Amino acid sequence: MKKNFLLALLSAILLATAYAYVNDALSFAHEAAAPYAKKGFSVREDAWGGDLGVKDQQAVSAQLFKGNEYWFCLGTEVKGAVLTIHLYDSQGKLVEAESWQKGRFAGARIVPEKTGTYYAIITVEKSPQERTGWAVVYAYK
Amino acid sequence: MTKIIPLILAAICLLPPASEAAEAVPASIDLSKFPAAEVDNVVVPVPSEIFAVLDKLGAPNWRGELRGSLGKNTGNRAQVALLLGTVIAEGFIAVEAEDSERVKDIGREVLELAEAINVRKAVIARSKSITEKAQAKDWPSVRKEFDGALQDVRSAMEELGDDELAQLVSIGGWLRGTQVLTSIVSKNFSQDGAELLYQPQLLDYFTRRLDGIKNTRLGKDDLVVRIRKTLGGIRPLIGKDDGTKISADNVQRINKMTGEMVIAITSKEA
Repeated sequence: MKKNFLLALLSAILLATAYAYVNDALSFAHEAAAPYAKKGFSVREDAWGGDLGVKDQQAVSAQLFKGNEYWFCLGTEVKGAVLTIHLYDSQGKLVEAESWQKGRFAGARIVPEKTGTYYAIITVEKSPQERTGWAVVYAYK
Repeated sequence: MTKIIPLILAAICLLPPASEAAEAVPASIDLSKFPAAEVDNVVVPVPSEIFAVLDKLGAPNWRGELRGSLGKNTGNRAQVALLLGTVIAEGFIAVEAEDSERVKDIGREVLELAEAINVRKAVIARSKSITEKAQAKDWPSVRKEFDGALQDVRSAMEELGDDELAQLVSIGGWLRGTQVLTSIVSKNFSQDGAELLYQPQLLDYFTRRLDGIKNTRLGKDDLVVRIRKTLGGIRPLIGKDDGTKISADNVQRINKMTGEMVIAITSKEA
């Protein structure tokens, strides 16, 4: 009984920790997107996040439409971590118009030449921590 | 002047070539190396992403696309979830039409439907904000609130363990959004407009989610069965490969199929 309680407590703490750092990363992702909102982009309320080890990568798939312009913005709560985001088409070809990386933030812009599925690839290039929380939001206009 | 030229040339030689600077970003990647769940789970777009393109292609009569009735809640949870999706999509159309009264009605309806599936608390603030911002005709903010309402409802349902039902909200929104997209494209057909329907992976994603429903009762629900069949019917019409052209006939067929489903979702007989 006591063991079960401890296990449940431990799971709850781990879940709360994971949620907290994705949540923190999300506020940084929104901060990265803020300049684009001022330029007339609509920032989606939906967001994607998780945590990755150093040199690990994750893909986020999105349906994008020709005629729109998109910014994908990435944030992390880990000071000193370097994360990047780049955009590829369904053939795995790099298709972004530009990208940048600065401190806890990174961004990539795409003006799709075709309507279809695209992939945002998130990479933890370096980090002082074993696992690094990240979050991505995207904006369109 | 002639002394400067060799200096400039030397400086150019010392600069790293552009390709070297870009070397860190691979020009291509092998997507099959990523876990299938990552690659296959497509982020569902909100209707206004598509509507933004339609606005650039012409001047659609958004007011003419609004439905007279938002539909009736039958008490069937699957129907309510789908209906909620169609109503939120209607909100995006009303924003395009800049119809404040309609937007306010829709904000109230979202709250009522959310209550029917026990997620009212999650959208109270959104509903209030939709009303206030519609009154102020702050359309970008209203659009953002509808997007937020959609996410809040889905998150609240997932927290309640209703993940499968939450997916139906997205599908309801997609069906209504696609009905309007095909209606507008049919009225003034262009290949650029038709290309907006090229969403094969999104359709496959929806189909996988419906096929994977574990709740037997939900999986056998008449509306869910009909939607699965409709998605299966639409899939071959929207093109197989990049660059496939979608014909005017197919746009009309998709409009008919999605329209029938929206009627089934919103009518009392559903």
